[in-house]
Amino acid sequence: MTTATLDANAQALQTISQRERMWRTFTQNKAAVVGLILVIIVALIALFAPVLAPHDPLRQDTFNRLAPPSSDYPLGQDDYGRDILSRTIYAARISLMVGILSVLAGGTIGTVIGIFAGYRGGATETFLMRVVDVLLAFPDLITGLLVLAVLGGGLFKMIIAIAIVISPRFARIAHGPTLALRERDHVLAARSIGVKEGRMLFRHILPNMLGELLVMASLWTASAIRIEANLSFIGLGVSPPTPTWGQMIRDGTVHLTTTPWFSIVPGIAVFVTVLAFNLLGDGLRDVLDPKLQN
Amino acid sequence: MRKWLMLCALLSIIILAAACAAPADSGSDTASSSDTAAADGETSEGAVLRLGINAADLSSLDPHFASGTQDRTVVSMVFNGLVRYSPGDAPNIEPDLATAIPEPEATDDGKQVWTFELRQGVMCHAGPETEAYELTADDVVYSLQKSANPDRSAFAGEYDGMTVEKVDDYTVSITMDTPLSPVLFLPKIADYAGGFIVCSQAIEAVGDEAFKTHPVGTGPFMFESYTPQDRVVLTANPDYFRGAPKLAGVEGRYMPDISSRELGLRAGELDVIHGLDEAQWVDAISGEEGLAVDVFGVGEVATIYFNIDAEPFDKPEVRKAIAYALNRDAFLALFGPGIADNVYSPVPAQFMDGGLTKDDVDALDLEYAYDPEMARELLAEAGLADGFSFPVVSSEMNAYRKVYEAMQAQLAEVGIDMQVDVVDHSSMHSLIRDDANPVVVYVAFRPNADVYLTRFFHSDSIVVTGAKPDTNFSHYAAIDDLIDSARAETDEAAQIELWKEAQVQILEDMVAYPLMYQNQIYARSDKVDYGHPLNAIMNLNPQITEMTTIGQ
Repeated sequence: MTTATLDANAQALQTISQRERMWRTFTQNKAAVVGLILVIIVALIALFAPVLAPHDPLRQDTFNRLAPPSSDYPLGQDDYGRDILSRTIYAARISLMVGILSVLAGGTIGTVIGIFAGYRGGATETFLMRVVDVLLAFPDLITGLLVLAVLGGGLFKMIIAIAIVISPRFARIAHGPTLALRERDHVLAARSIGVKEGRMLFRHILPNMLGELLVMASLWTASAIRIEANLSFIGLGVSPPTPTWGQMIRDGTVHLTTTPWFSIVPGIAVFVTVLAFNLLGDGLRDVLDPKLQN
Repeated sequence: MRKWLMLCALLSIIILAAACAAPADSGSDTASSSDTAAADGETSEGAVLRLGINAADLSSLDPHFASGTQDRTVVSMVFNGLVRYSPGDAPNIEPDLATAIPEPEATDDGKQVWTFELRQGVMCHAGPETEAYELTADDVVYSLQKSANPDRSAFAGEYDGMTVEKVDDYTVSITMDTPLSPVLFLPKIADYAGGFIVCSQAIEAVGDEAFKTHPVGTGPFMFESYTPQDRVVLTANPDYFRGAPKLAGVEGRYMPDISSRELGLRAGELDVIHGLDEAQWVDAISGEEGLAVDVFGVGEVATIYFNIDAEPFDKPEVRKAIAYALNRDAFLALFGPGIADNVYSPVPAQFMDGGLTKDDVDALDLEYAYDPEMARELLAEAGLADGFSFPVVSSEMNAYRKVYEAMQAQLAEVGIDMQVDVVDHSSMHSLIRDDANPVVVYVAFRPNADVYLTRFFHSDSIVVTGAKPDTNFSHYAAIDDLIDSARAETDEAAQIELWKEAQVQILEDMVAYPLMYQNQIYARSDKVDYGHPLNAIMNLNPQITEMTTIGQ
């Protein structure tokens, strides 16, 4: 017990200087800073959508459908005469919600499976990791399609589908380090004094791989947003009239030659957001990955 | 990694910028490509017409199973009927394989006999297993019996109570158990659906399944080849009884994406394409040098059906409230001027007898013109002043999704929350036939008032529970007598009156809200001349015949 307390104190002291060092490393990476700023901007846009959006994103005005950009509608009107700017702003909420919640759900489930399989070993490991391998064998979009085909469309089901796509990635990432960590002295010591399995996994193993998981989470948030846009694009997304970027791009494609801004505006929004999360994830990797730090 | 990402970002920005610039450029590209084509002086006669079909693949080229526009387009070039809709001018009917349209004779036992003389010298195309041979009464009897057989035809219901007999090689008699007026009888033997005449020897030689991808008929074009998900190739029939076609053949390419079809047309790789039902698109293409767009009937009618057995739609006030909450003009605006038009009864008065015009419904106060105040009052009367919510499924196809989404926004104005779940097109069709939607939007064309009323409003056709479940989504059973008497009425004027009466009843009960019809949109190179007017065409395509040419 005494040893553990001392360890904790030493760790706390180390953490302060370590945090400073990490922040410095992060800020040195200009692209990562840009990514962080963009993510914050997108998050603020999503948060303050009702204040920022000039019009009700659901109000139709079919008599002025596909109207070009004007002073009242800076990005034009869609095929129901709805304001494209307001819909793009509101769609940020859905994209971020899907991105974050699906990574949270998929990441948690995947990590637990990975750690558990790695720590237990034997038949449990073989079984769980082969299931993960099977899931990994399918491309993201195909897995998403299969799940949505079974569950049906809608926001909540979309989040579940993307979480299922993501979870095997996290299982794979968590599994490897667990194999090494379970042989480490502090884990063996904990086991020898009879620490329970659950506590072992979450207090002694998980904290040692949080950095890697965080990087993965950031990168997969970008992918989740992209998958959401893809699934919405093929018509399996959130129910209308809720605006999503993928659905907006899809609706605009048939008008690409006559009113290109209809697809391009949400397209740029997806592009910027996905890029922002990728840059942020890349920066976090620089900070948190011990191999790259050297 | 960082450099790589930055490079990707830069590349993406360049691609996006290029995408933004593309539309402006493509216009000039098209002009130059069509100029080039004109300068080259394409051959006129003997050219192969390349047709961009709006589908990923065919479904069946056996005309008795061809129910999608992509299939009707092809079979209408390969087969004939005993009579035909005048090219480009339905519902006028003229003789086709028959030499004349006969007057029916009544028999002593209350039946009706139609005797058709056949043209002589009409040749069936050569099939994979058969040589070309002369079509006779045997083929006509075989074909109409096939149409009546539910295992061999999707239109068998239309042929109940019909007996077909050969009198001699060039004479066929058709006996109807119940006498029908010409307007109801002739469509059954016209060049549409079950009326197409197949060549019996060819189909017997290859079997029904093989016939679906190798049709053999008597039409101006003969089937040559089919490549799944790619194209179907037809060649001119030099022995066609109206004279050899002026085209060398027709190549139908399966291209479900409008952008691809449009680019193909602009680049001169396609001569005719199925267009987009958008006024802006029509204007954009019409404005291009060397291209033209045709907007023609028949229009497919979009109607909204209320399930009167489902709460709260069992209350007439609720159904009428929804009718008043909908703005027909706002729906029309979704497609733009000229593409769609209003209808005021389930049978479209614009295309057939028996429909009600705006003046008719005005006189009866049954227009249900947009009046949200009235809608709110009716909802309050029904005890639903605070509104209510209900779920529906919609197809992902534009013709449905647009209507459901516009309806959703309009109903929200009067406090009704319609939750729309988008599913794929075939799922929607099976779900609505399983009563999943208390309110169904259905877009369809039917050849006459009897078919519209029978299939959508006769109690036998009630989905799930009807004797012959079809498309009576309203669960309506109040006008069976009117439909049956109209069908048996041989006096045309009296028949039309009965049909109108049936529809007045439908509107008074508000079991269905007639919304609009949508025209067919096809674009073509302006060198293409179909050789006939484009007013109304049953098979929903511009109809390529022996007269069609591609000019200099």
